[in-house]
Amino acid sequence: MVRQGKAAWLAHDLTHRGVTAWLLSALLVAFYLVLYYTALFDRAARAIGLDSKWTFYGILYSLAIVLGGIYVLRKYRHNRYQVVRTAVVMFVQVILAFSIPEILQFVHQPEYYFSYFWPLKFDYWTPETIFRFPLGYILYSFLGSLLLVPLLGIFFGKRWYCSWVCGCGGLANTAGDPLRHLTSKSSASWKFERISIYTVLAVCLTLTALLFVSWGIRTRDPALEQFVDGFQSVYAFLVVAMLSGVVGAGLYPLGGTRIWCRNFCPMAALLGLVQKFGRFRITVKENMCISCGLCSKYCEMGIDVRSYAQANLSFTRASCVGCGLCAEVCPRGVLRLENIRLRHPQQLALIHISPATTRSRTAAI
Amino acid sequence: MRYAIIGNGVAGTTAAFTLRAREPGAEITLISAESDYFFSRTALMYAYMDRMSRRDLEPYERKVYAKQNLRLLCDRVTDLDASRLLLTLESGRALEYDRLLLATGSVGDRPNWPGLDEAHEGVVHFVTLDDLDRCERLTPSTRQAVVVGGGLIGVELVECLVYHRKQVTFLVRSPGYWPGALAGEESAMVSEHIRRHGVDLRADEGVARVLADEGGRVRAVQTQSGAEFPCQLLGIAIGVVPAVDWLRQVKTPPRIERGIVVSSSFETSLENVWAAGDCAEFLHDGRSTVEQLWYSARRQGELAARAMLGDPVRYELPIFYNSAKFFEIEYTSTGIVDPSIEGTRSFFCRLPGKQASVRIVERAGAVVGFNMLGSRWNHTFFERWITERRDLDYVVEHLREAQFDVEFGRVDLAPVHATYRDWKAALHPWPALPRGSGFV
Ligand SMILES: Cc1cc2nc3c(=O)[nH]c(=O)nc-3n(C[C@H](O)[C@H](O)[C@H](O)COP(=O)(O)OP(=O)(O)OC[C@H]3O[C@@H](n4cnc5c(N)ncnc54)[C@H](O)[C@@H]3O)c2cc1C
Ligand code: SF4
Ligand code: SF4
Repeated sequence: MVRQGKAAWLAHDLTHRGVTAWLLSALLVAFYLVLYYTALFDRAARAIGLDSKWTFYGILYSLAIVLGGIYVLRKYRHNRYQVVRTAVVMFVQVILAFSIPEILQFVHQPEYYFSYFWPLKFDYWTPETIFRFPLGYILYSFLGSLLLVPLLGIFFGKRWYCSWVCGCGGLANTAGDPLRHLTSKSSASWKFERISIYTVLAVCLTLTALLFVSWGIRTRDPALEQFVDGFQSVYAFLVVAMLSGVVGAGLYPLGGTRIWCRNFCPMAALLGLVQKFGRFRITVKENMCISCGLCSKYCEMGIDVRSYAQANLSFTRASCVGCGLCAEVCPRGVLRLENIRLRHPQQLALIHISPATTRSRTAAI
Repeated sequence: MRYAIIGNGVAGTTAAFTLRAREPGAEITLISAESDYFFSRTALMYAYMDRMSRRDLEPYERKVYAKQNLRLLCDRVTDLDASRLLLTLESGRALEYDRLLLATGSVGDRPNWPGLDEAHEGVVHFVTLDDLDRCERLTPSTRQAVVVGGGLIGVELVECLVYHRKQVTFLVRSPGYWPGALAGEESAMVSEHIRRHGVDLRADEGVARVLADEGGRVRAVQTQSGAEFPCQLLGIAIGVVPAVDWLRQVKTPPRIERGIVVSSSFETSLENVWAAGDCAEFLHDGRSTVEQLWYSARRQGELAARAMLGDPVRYELPIFYNSAKFFEIEYTSTGIVDPSIEGTRSFFCRLPGKQASVRIVERAGAVVGFNMLGSRWNHTFFERWITERRDLDYVVEHLREAQFDVEFGRVDLAPVHATYRDWKAALHPWPALPRGSGFV
């Protein structure tokens, strides 16, 4: 039941797909369209002494993460995982994703974002772009995507990137926090996710391969080059501008905070596969779940956590970004994020269950 | 085979799924008077506090029931004729069964306070969906509320009313909050925490009379100490009792004491009728047990279904455990923790600078119970140590393994170890116990 009072009504309406939520969403979509396709913000940026609309956008984005981060730090101050994670997210955004690229430009270096990797940052594996960079950047780009990302994924799961470093996740987990519960939990949405995210991944891999082929045999086949160019601009429009920008952030108030991360991000798709074989998992404490459903409700990736918890199943889902909010909201402390190596004592407990449970179990067979 | 299940709570629904898994062709009917679909009673408070919608309370997607081919009837069973294998429903419909499970749960206990019957409006329990509707209807016209009953449902209702910015008086009959489970130190800590949320928690206060205005809306509560607390909403949370009243009037009532008496394989006194969950009562060597817990109801529902399928089932009462949350303080309890039980003594440590504490109860050299507040623990370790009859030294030394705090948030147990050393140094040896006294 909604609290009484106008302020409470507004807070509820904004976070429960009310009229104001639709308005806000329309506003956000309009903002992105204007940002991408007009020079309005360029003029605005120059008026306040900035070089381009992208710097202006960078400031806005960082501000959203910092202010949202302060809100989140206060809200979850009793939870050390959330405190540490949020602090890192704020740091990465302000330093790695904003200040360093600005500084690099200032000292006439390429504007490079060390917190972004292919395939999320598609250009970093586009031969045209990357091979124009100095060698250090090229190495960082390739080793980052091929070694750093999967290796950390094996040890810590997808979360090291999706909930600790990435700017998309950063915005979702700070300013987007009040909207996280809007993600659909239906099995239909899960089905959609599996089709859409691997489709984008396949398209992305194909395009990257084509780009390298076309670059390698450049002048010999202009028809191929033209085709690849067209392909690339369609990808840039549909996936990068529309899905990650307009849909991904614009529809926050309607579809929750991780529409892009859950359904479309090729980086999330790859890391999800790595996670399935890695150490990360969510451990479920045996027979303690009261099926209240808070974990599912507040999972921004639409995972029905409750279905695992009430069945006493520890789990690793490819989509889980390890934000840790399911464990935070669980009123019975049933869930814990873990990187397990060998059999952890906690895991042994899941096998060596109490005799009382064992008896009722075996009696039941 | 036709299975009928009365009650679509966690016991009934778990039983239905268990039956379906084993008998794909059977006809399975789930009947409930409360809701079309199974929902989590434990999450009522989150619906009241706007953290979830009604629909979010349902643990399974609705299409699951159709997929599992379970027939759901929203109706009340009014009569049971076990000799003719027949149920009569409120709608007039009759339903034949071959095997029947009673999983009717519990209802809020209603006291006989003078004046209560005259207050038609403004008095609520907090057990059913109807109760939730009633609470929500009354909330806007309520400024002050009184909640009576110092258990878990009481504090949940209090938290909801605080969320809605009501001025709440919380009346507890005992000298402190929840004496059945919390000893003095813990009770004081939790009480202080509840008060810090602006709740007027009054211990040692029993209700003497309920006062209503001309329209029949509750207007105040008088206590035995003579105090009067004005209120427009009175929440009664003095406990729940098995929902068996209706069964006393049917053609063939099963044996009922506090609840429906069942054997260790969930059979009632009637042929082809089983019972499980909150409504079932076990009699073990003259001791009566009614387990009114979500986990037990689920386990019982599953096992009762197996018994109905003909499996040899022997339900033995598990080591008790429970968990709860008092506003922000999380609580985990395992084994025997009632401080009034004879022959026990306990090691207690309040963690400095935190709303957290550790209590380990011991009897005759073996650990029998744990009461933990303010941090997270994996109770399966506690169960194991109790079963293995570990002593305190062992348990304190290994306590770390049972911690379940979030990453980076593991509570430092150094103060526990330090306090334990001092406590042990000051300890008197155990008095010799009479031979043959049995322990858990
Ligand atoms: C507010 C609240 C919070 C709780 N929190 C916790 C907790 O944190 N941890 C915990 O372990 N336990 C908790 N419990 C207790 C837990 O909810 C119960 O133990 C559990 O729900 C019992 O399940 P059940 O299936 O036996 O019965 P119920 O869930 O009560 O279901 C029985 C159903 O049968 C229906 N029924 C009864 N008679 C008839 C009839 N004649 N015809 C048709 N239908 C009928 C009822 O309407 C009801 O829907 C809480 C209870 C409440 C009320
Ligand atoms: S399952 Fe938990 S940790 Fe994973 S994304 Fe959902 S809320 Fe976050
Ligand atoms: S929040 Fe915790 S208790 Fe509630 S359904 Fe999820 S795991 Fe179970």
